[in-house]
Amino acid sequence: MVEERPPFPFNMIEGMMPMFPLIAVMGWMIVLIALVIGATALASSQATFFSDAKAIREGAAAGSAFVQANVDAHVIEAWVPQFKFLGLGLGLMAITMALGTIAKRLRRMGQVISSHLPADLRPPMPPIPTRVRVFQLSTLMGVMILSAALIIGLVLATGVVPSYWNHSIANELDPAQPGSALLAQLGVVSSFADWLNPLRMVGMAFLFTAITLALTVIIGTLRMQAGVLVDFYQRASSRQ
Amino acid sequence: MANVTPPAPAWQIKVFPLFTLLGWVLILISFLIGLLVLSATAVGYWGGNAKAVRDAAEAGSVLLDQLQMLTVTPRWLEPLTFLGVAAFMTGIALEFSTIPAILKNRGQVMSAAFPLIVKLGGK
Repeated sequence: MVEERPPFPFNMIEGMMPMFPLIAVMGWMIVLIALVIGATALASSQATFFSDAKAIREGAAAGSAFVQANVDAHVIEAWVPQFKFLGLGLGLMAITMALGTIAKRLRRMGQVISSHLPADLRPPMPPIPTRVRVFQLSTLMGVMILSAALIIGLVLATGVVPSYWNHSIANELDPAQPGSALLAQLGVVSSFADWLNPLRMVGMAFLFTAITLALTVIIGTLRMQAGVLVDFYQRASSRQ
Repeated sequence: MANVTPPAPAWQIKVFPLFTLLGWVLILISFLIGLLVLSATAVGYWGGNAKAVRDAAEAGSVLLDQLQMLTVTPRWLEPLTFLGVAAFMTGIALEFSTIPAILKNRGQVMSAAFPLIVKLGGK
């Protein structure tokens, strides 16, 4: 009754599956950290930036408290939402892993019941459904996309975002001319959210698909086991 | 001999793939619009024009059209994405809704089969 060890990366995924409570807590902690950063660092940066008249804050020179507060706010907004979605993704991954663990236990339970049936009425053990591998890959894909979104967010937050915003708005950013480095940077900082935010949702879609497939495995296993028992009952009863 | 049958097919099993598919379609549409339309327009609008030029754009100009698109599109595109998420969740809920009936049937099947397993199994 010992199952063959699955190949890489499925052995790694199946090895991690029982750790789903830990992963759920980790996801929740990440979302909590995003809340703390938003409520403290981001809120305080915004409060500092909007503490004076528009002419003063936009006229402030690089190195001033206003410019630094503006830089901090934009840097946080570049990576924290990606971090938060990775936390949500880990929560969904934990649900998938929990469902995978249930499916595995159901299979084990089927093996135990089957071993108690008379040998001539015992059906052969069915192979592991392909959908198991598909939902495991879908989970991996979802978490990889969310991790990639976080890495892109961090690259932006340490590169072009602070580089652009660390200037006086009125004296350097507003007068920037087409072809200048500043205007090219403005193009990047104003457009990345338009594709990065939907990309995160594609990652979430992979995780939702994984949950959907894991449920079809559980439902399929339950239905198949019921079919096996009904078949056994009918064949065994006809012998009486 | 009791009338023991496998669980009846549930209508939810036929419907949930449509919601999953709808979720994918809506999320991919919003990703493609974001990547190919909004992002490209934003790079052109913000990165290709000085602030003075953008601010002086007249009614009917390309710049004002671009600004309009960049402002209006996200207002419906984001809810469309979340409609996709809701479609996935509806599909998942429909799948879960089939499990109680399957478990009820399992109880009935098991209670009928158990005495025979004990009698014939010999383990």
